[in-house]
Amino acid sequence: MPKLTIDGRSVEVPKGTTIIQAARQLGTDVPHYCWHPGLSIAGNCRICLVEVEGMPTLQIACNTQCSDNMVVRTASDKAKRGRADVMELLLINHPLDCPICDQAGECKLQEYSFRIGNDRSRFDFPKVHKPKHVKFSDKVMFDAERCILCTRCVRFMDEIAKSDELDISNRGDRNEISVKRGGELESPYQMNIIDVCPVGALTSQDFRFKSRVWFLESTHTVCSGCSRGCNVTAGARWNKMLRLIPRENAAVNKWWMCDEGRLTYTDVAAADRLGAPMVRKDGRLVEVSWDEALAAAAKGLAAAGDDLFALISARLTNEEIWLASKLCDALGTPHRDTKPRAFGKDDLLRTGDGNPNSAGARILGVAPGKGGAGLANFASQNLAGAALFGEDLDDRPEAIAALQKLAFVLVVDSRESETMRKAAHVVLPGLTAYEKDGSFTNVTGRVQRIAPCVRSPGDAWPDWKILGWLVAGNDRGARPKTCAEVFARMAAAVPEFSGMTHGMLGTAGLDVRSAAPAQGSV
Amino acid sequence: MSAVEFPRLLKGAPPIGKRQTLAEYEANGGYQALKKGLAQTPDEITKMVLDTGLRGRGGAGFPAGRKWTFVPKNTGKPVYLAVNGDESEPGCFKDRQIIERVPHLLVEGAILACRAIGANTAYVYIRGEYPIGIRCMEEAVDEARAAGYLGDNVMGSGWKCDVWIHSGAGAYICGEETGMLSSIEGGRGYPRIKPPFPAVEGLWRSPTIINNVETIANVPLIVRDGVADWKSSGDADTPGTRLVGVSGHVNRPCHIEIDPAKTTLREIIFDHAGGIWKGRHLKAVIPGGSSVPVLPNKPEALDVPFTYGAVKNAGSLAGAAGVIVMDETTCMVDALLNLMEFYHHESCGQCTPCREGTGWLEKLVHRIWAGQGRMEDVDLLDRVADTVGGAGAGKTICFLADSAVMPTKSFIKHFRADFEAAVRGGGSPVYLARKARIDRKHASHAVGAAH
Repeated sequence: MPKLTIDGRSVEVPKGTTIIQAARQLGTDVPHYCWHPGLSIAGNCRICLVEVEGMPTLQIACNTQCSDNMVVRTASDKAKRGRADVMELLLINHPLDCPICDQAGECKLQEYSFRIGNDRSRFDFPKVHKPKHVKFSDKVMFDAERCILCTRCVRFMDEIAKSDELDISNRGDRNEISVKRGGELESPYQMNIIDVCPVGALTSQDFRFKSRVWFLESTHTVCSGCSRGCNVTAGARWNKMLRLIPRENAAVNKWWMCDEGRLTYTDVAAADRLGAPMVRKDGRLVEVSWDEALAAAAKGLAAAGDDLFALISARLTNEEIWLASKLCDALGTPHRDTKPRAFGKDDLLRTGDGNPNSAGARILGVAPGKGGAGLANFASQNLAGAALFGEDLDDRPEAIAALQKLAFVLVVDSRESETMRKAAHVVLPGLTAYEKDGSFTNVTGRVQRIAPCVRSPGDAWPDWKILGWLVAGNDRGARPKTCAEVFARMAAAVPEFSGMTHGMLGTAGLDVRSAAPAQGSV
Repeated sequence: MSAVEFPRLLKGAPPIGKRQTLAEYEANGGYQALKKGLAQTPDEITKMVLDTGLRGRGGAGFPAGRKWTFVPKNTGKPVYLAVNGDESEPGCFKDRQIIERVPHLLVEGAILACRAIGANTAYVYIRGEYPIGIRCMEEAVDEARAAGYLGDNVMGSGWKCDVWIHSGAGAYICGEETGMLSSIEGGRGYPRIKPPFPAVEGLWRSPTIINNVETIANVPLIVRDGVADWKSSGDADTPGTRLVGVSGHVNRPCHIEIDPAKTTLREIIFDHAGGIWKGRHLKAVIPGGSSVPVLPNKPEALDVPFTYGAVKNAGSLAGAAGVIVMDETTCMVDALLNLMEFYHHESCGQCTPCREGTGWLEKLVHRIWAGQGRMEDVDLLDRVADTVGGAGAGKTICFLADSAVMPTKSFIKHFRADFEAAVRGGGSPVYLARKARIDRKHASHAVGAAH
């Protein structure tokens, strides 16, 4: 364990640690472009120069390993001058188009230029010109003039996406990143290159020109695309979600997320969102008050009793699934099931399971009980009613036909569906995962918080509130006021969550208490 | 004074244009060293090379035997020898003599080096612009393989060794040792960051020793004649002979093999190369290939032996022994522009200072050359050069940036008057005539302050 001094503070690090990593341990950010903790070391940008006592020249912090008694100065005059020199060179051919560049506000070139660069250049020649808007794919746009050739994107594609679609063509200051063989990017992880790009060279076709990043309201939450539960930061403006970007979590997604998951936020702004409760009157669904709708729902559920089929979505949160199970327990029905949902699958992140909370549903026992019917056979069981929590059966016309024969059908969902239109007697509008509090349990058994990124549309309620009220019935005092309260009650009842609170989950999550249903890996 | 050559490497070599065949090489004592070497242990061969003090002939002058000892033991990975015959440095054409005329000497050296470092495979990387050399080497390797000097059972010893010829494709950077490794692997000729050093992780992430052609060609002589005999030429600083190429404004551009301790730069220019052409005077000389600092026509620069140490003390580097001679009519701005165009064109573009800086240097030199410079541009050029690199500056992964900076700074240091004359619109008649024929390519970026 080498022990060294960085800027006068001593630190002990494992053998093989580089100066840039050791400095991070101390909370010191050595400026860097090409270095990324999740990628191999390229050592090409040369901005991470530091002074090491006893070495005749400045060293790059990203590839210099710490040794015992090393004395490093990251902010000495010599180091600063070395970095300012590199900054000047990086900018001589860089377009000064920050006012129209999407990266402005989260651009490392801007940040370091401000921190360590000069306010003027000695370079007074025309700049080198390169292609300005190259379509890498429908998802990624490339500007070769803004590119500083750090090769993070090339290394991401090679090393993480395992899809060597990018390369550098030409030579010297004519170098350009290019898609090999002139095609378009195909990798399902290609949008990560937008995140790793430290400048505005790679921008998102989905997000570009929609908002200045400093106007975004950021929320730490979790992707609801699949059971991996990649940690994300959502960006919203004017109550509209504009993007998801991956948020580092070493135990879940490291620094990455898939493109499919990244675009799940668009569900929030779907045209067919439900904004008011409805009850079927004279064969037509009409908007009613929550009081009336909840009363109708409670009446229908009670009438169905232990002959109710409950389809409980594994897209709902732990809290909601727990409440739905409580409701089924109270009614005495063993007919409970979830609905499988397909998603891309690979060795990196995508699990193939499009339900973000399958593990939670498993832990909370959402499955046909003794003598109970499931999704496959409820139609033939001569049941009295059905409740669909967060699901529709639009992909199964025969199931909709079966629902239509039932005396009572409750649908709690965030979007309109054919199922709802044809079969529901009561419709209660719920929310998407990006509008409510709660938690998911991911494929490896990690319990993670989700958080509202935008306000709900119309008069929709979070599903935990709807379920909480249904469970409480006429006992007003038993109605939950917050989702955290539901979680606390669940944690007291379910051993896997025992002792946990929303606060403890924080932004990184916790593993379930018992042996986790471990499967899949990052 | 008479020009004395010390042919050791080229002893018995056929004239230019002819390749020594296997039979001719064997008649000249060829492959006797290999026979001897096979009877020795690898460590014994390494020790002999170590004892001679043979220094790398690619330019850096690192002791070859010491480099061989850096190969880690028992890694479970194969060990490779990579022989650098890219010879891409402007002004250098010494390795070509070995490759084209005595290729078997190189083959035998490569086999012995493989034996010493524990390799079974050697790659000889040859400059793509040497098609004759590539053919000569391939023929030599085929002959050696047919004769049992290469293959699965070298000279019946049961030991396996093979040599493969790999052609370059015209990039200067592939002569940089790690850029060459990337090229051999089929990638872009990108130099690699160190650590890991090639001796630990080189070709295909396996231990690899990289030596220059001339370095390897010396190995059979060492093994055959012994340490003492080999060291009879040269001195403690630069033992052995050196192959030197002389080009430029001389009466007799040539390649020679000299005793570096007994031959001065002046003798190389005036005796071996027949002096300055057209009855003119010497103005400047670049002694080690285009990357090293230029020297002015001064006794303290010229009357020094051509050893690594002596040339360094004189203010330059013996480098890869490509002596470039310039006469009194040469405009040094003109000459520097030529070099800056080259380094800008050849920068691989990996490291920021080199990618951006070599272009800036060229633009500045060009502005001065085109008569559009300002007097302060001369100092600016000097300072920008410091920003980009310099001898041992270590600002970049490889030495290309430093190779552009060393000439820049030395040209200004010794010939500032030429730069100032160009700014004023004057200069030598040759330069002014050339400038008058300004070609469109130059005109297109000869612009002043734009934004």
